[in-house]
Amino acid sequence: MSSAQVSVIDDDAAVLRSVGRLLQAAGYAVQTFSSSQDFLTHPGGGAPGCIVMDLSMPGMGGLDLQQALAKKADRRPVVFISGQGSIATSVAAMKAGAIDFLTKPFDASRLLGAVSAAIERDLSSRGAQRERAAVEGRLASLTPREREVLEMVAAGKLNKQIAAALGTAEKTVKVHRARMMRKMQVDSLAGLIRTWTSIQPPSASSA
Amino acid sequence: MDVHSASQRFLGLTARRWRTGAVPGPLAQMLLVAVGYYAAARVGFAFTLQPNPISTLWPPNALLLAVLLLAPARAWWWLLAAALPAHLLIELQSGVPTAMVLGWYASNCSEALIGAALVRAFAPGPLRLDSLRKAGLFLLCAVLAAPLLSSFFDAALVRLIGWGESEYWDLVQRRFASNVLAELTVGPLILTWATFSSARLRAATPARYAEAALIFGGLFAVCLVAFDLPQIDARAAPALFYAPLPFLLWAAVRLGTPGAASAIALLTVATIGGAVSGLGPFTDRTAEDTAREMQLFLIAASVPMLLLAVALEERSRAEREAHEQRLQLTHLARVAMLGELSGGIAHELNQPLTAILSNAQAAQHFIANKTGSPQVLSEILQDIVLADLRAGEIIRRLHTLFKRGETQFRPLDMNTVVGEVLDIARGDLATRSVDVRRHLGESIPAVSGDRVELQQVLLNLVVNASEAMSAGTAPGRRVLTVCTGTEAGMVKVSVIDSGPGFPAEQHERMFEAFYTTKAQGLGLGLSISRAIVRVHNGHLWGEANPGGGASFHVTLPAA
Repeated sequence: MSSAQVSVIDDDAAVLRSVGRLLQAAGYAVQTFSSSQDFLTHPGGGAPGCIVMDLSMPGMGGLDLQQALAKKADRRPVVFISGQGSIATSVAAMKAGAIDFLTKPFDASRLLGAVSAAIERDLSSRGAQRERAAVEGRLASLTPREREVLEMVAAGKLNKQIAAALGTAEKTVKVHRARMMRKMQVDSLAGLIRTWTSIQPPSASSA
Repeated sequence: MDVHSASQRFLGLTARRWRTGAVPGPLAQMLLVAVGYYAAARVGFAFTLQPNPISTLWPPNALLLAVLLLAPARAWWWLLAAALPAHLLIELQSGVPTAMVLGWYASNCSEALIGAALVRAFAPGPLRLDSLRKAGLFLLCAVLAAPLLSSFFDAALVRLIGWGESEYWDLVQRRFASNVLAELTVGPLILTWATFSSARLRAATPARYAEAALIFGGLFAVCLVAFDLPQIDARAAPALFYAPLPFLLWAAVRLGTPGAASAIALLTVATIGGAVSGLGPFTDRTAEDTAREMQLFLIAASVPMLLLAVALEERSRAEREAHEQRLQLTHLARVAMLGELSGGIAHELNQPLTAILSNAQAAQHFIANKTGSPQVLSEILQDIVLADLRAGEIIRRLHTLFKRGETQFRPLDMNTVVGEVLDIARGDLATRSVDVRRHLGESIPAVSGDRVELQQVLLNLVVNASEAMSAGTAPGRRVLTVCTGTEAGMVKVSVIDSGPGFPAEQHERMFEAFYTTKAQGLGLGLSISRAIVRVHNGHLWGEANPGGGASFHVTLPAA
């Protein structure tokens, strides 16, 4: 876990230094930034980790930075720390995907708990990301005909029906299907369906 | 028991301002009245011009009347009763028949009762000579009506008992004049000093005491020369009457009603004392004429002085009250504004608290993991100390803003005041995502002002700007600029925002009291700010920026 990278953003130098120290003491690699702009110019994000940020900062505040990161597809989980958290802002922050919303001053155990949960989520989402990328790579290696066969198999069609739909012999369909199964690295219909549905976007857009 | 509790209430009413705690009990009060009456009667006898049987000034009745005016009506009977032994003691020495002695006691008491009842009917409660209305009431009822009515009674008694050979109307007229002068001299003296706050004496500066000494010393010397020297040139006499007037005026203007009453008493004693000893300008005529002339002179000199002193005191009290109200209102607005800022202030306090807690817990981790070097730990401790000092400073500043104090003019550097104000508002500005820019001029002359009040003015402008921007401007474009500089010999502080600005018709209206466009505002901020700046001889105005937003400017004269 010590390889995890935590970025801390707070405009108050004393708070920034002390929170950075606390996370260092807990064994994280810490980067500190005194403003949202400062962070956006050196966002990092290669290694797994999370972002701990102040809610209210001059210039770009925490909620705005959260939005900016979402636009840049930076998916690192965010933990908010705030000196004056209203219910409205904390709801907005949590809706936008924040892990936790801590009111200053907070106990170390709460911050470290939130950071560790955030890093766990980052790791698991990075794992899922990798898995998805692999499946998408396999999918890309299919020929158009194999892809058609895959979609129809996944839709529950029998070989005979597929052959009729494609206007070919059932035997040819079997050959395509076998090659498709090999390329997708699955050995059963159930495995194929599971892999296929795992990469279906929830909002099945065809773009 | 009844008497005691009545007296306690009486003292609660009249002696609230004595504050010494040593409040005399009812017996002590009766003793005081008796002793006072005896002494006053002695003075009255001493001021009798032989062979004229009636004193030029008869103070015992005036003393009784003044005591009744200070007491509740239920205490009157025993206060009057207290005077009887003193009356008998002194009058029976003079060989007057007992019937006449008792008759005079009755007429003396009647004067006190008539005057006190008349005054009390129009002005309830213990009388304070603190307004022209009450002074006029006192002059009409106690100085004029009481001696007049009781003199008819007194003269009738004298004729009835057959004491002396004077005519009825002659008796009425002479007793009336004597008692009018006594009421005018003794009444205000007792009334003003009995209700005088000892706090005012203690608050007086040495210069004030020196001035009082000069006034009374001068008055005494002038009276001595004018009224207590063997008369040299009779034709110079009218001019001599004017000699004490400057000192009387001086006392009335500078020393308030107690000072004026004391000066009048001194003049009266000196004038009559001189004439009784055969000195001064009133000696070249019959005793009766002398008494009448002196009485007329003293009454004519005293009434305007007394009224002048009361009028001035009434006005200065009105000014003090207005000043006090302004202070109260200023404080109220300041506290209301700090209430609006409370969220931001909590934010500001939470920062050092967070730093302290996180630093301390980081140190605990370092120590538990045995990873903390002494250098890291000492840095942590240093940061904790700094954060603690910072929190203390925030609380100290808040305390001075919350406190209610007198306006104190001191040399102030406006750049420092701006820095302090932005520190207090920092939390509010941060939670509203306002970007603060400072353009502080170098070598700005100091201004003479009250730190807290000027902080209040600037804080009000900063908070207004911050609220206007957070309501009507996108977060990235909220810029507050504070500039200081000099302009035409004045120090100028400008608070400029990038908010929605204000329509032209609000340009002056926003400085009116209770005018507000905010949902939760009192509408007092700007009107009080302008009043504060005016007290500092400066100007406060607002204008719409050409490029949007509003600017508010404060100019203050360089000290």
